[in-house]
Amino acid sequence: MRAYQDMVFSTAARLAGSDTQAEDISQEVFIRAYEHFSDLRGSVTAGGWLKTVTTNLTLNYLSRYRKRWRLFSEMRSSTQDGEDDGVELDWEVPDTILADLSAEQRSVIVDAALKQLPEHQRLPLVLYHFEDMSYQEIADKLSVSLTKIKTDIRRARAALLPLLQTVGGARDTLDG
Amino acid sequence: MVDPMNKRTDATLKLEQVLHQALSGLPPRQAPATLESRVANELARRALLPWWRASFASWPVAARVMFILVCAVLAAVTILGGVSAYLGDRSFEEVSALVLSWAHPLLTVLSSAGGLVALLMHVIPPLWLYGILGVGIFLYVTLFGLGAAAYRTLYLPSSAGNAS
Repeated sequence: MRAYQDMVFSTAARLAGSDTQAEDISQEVFIRAYEHFSDLRGSVTAGGWLKTVTTNLTLNYLSRYRKRWRLFSEMRSSTQDGEDDGVELDWEVPDTILADLSAEQRSVIVDAALKQLPEHQRLPLVLYHFEDMSYQEIADKLSVSLTKIKTDIRRARAALLPLLQTVGGARDTLDG
Repeated sequence: MVDPMNKRTDATLKLEQVLHQALSGLPPRQAPATLESRVANELARRALLPWWRASFASWPVAARVMFILVCAVLAAVTILGGVSAYLGDRSFEEVSALVLSWAHPLLTVLSSAGGLVALLMHVIPPLWLYGILGVGIFLYVTLFGLGAAAYRTLYLPSSAGNAS
């Protein structure tokens, strides 16, 4: 468990955007792993199995609270799809972001910024950039249209950039 | 002259690349120190539960088979008992006649309602019908809009707050 607990927790935390929920989900993941212990013991795919179960459990956990609002959420998105390509970048895109920081410092800043994104943007963004899933795989996983996924990820990136620059800049100031 | 559309596409692609560089290769977050003890405590708690309070999949095979058999017998007894209590010693023809005696008034009511609708369509001017239809659609859209407005004003701010 010790070998995988950080991976499981951070996957759940980045997707859910909440440490409390991530801890509940991680607990459930390891209980399931215990139930499948005979299959997983010594298996080289144990890490992949844990990652998949963590992702699925987190999405199930979040969807319990999301289903009732899906109709309006989809409607809101589809009304905004018309301005799909109008995702304006108010900020000049720099050549690098947080490049002068250590990986640990970047991790703290990125996780703080991710928590500020709304769920419908954070989920596909994390699945794309952290779990290396394609747009189509994410659309299938979240049961939403490919167009909505692309739009949400573009919007998430546009929202994340100023957050990273602001938080990163503030941290640099504090460190300095 | 630079095409604004191309400029925007370039910026979007650049943003994707820059963010991917920043996000990829990040170390995993450290799990809380309490996670391991939480899992151990939960496993111990579940182990203490009697088998019949665990999930059905983890019941002993004999218990699962017995449970399914008992449920099947109970369902059969309930259905057969109810049917035989209702029918008593009536014959099939009597039961059929009874069912038809219920269906006949129902069919009469439905056909009368259809006749009434046809009469109204004939008597009421088409303009009125279109007006009524328009009012119905307007009320439906208004209700839907109110629901959407309630979602955006009441739910979205709280969900964004929870995320942060």
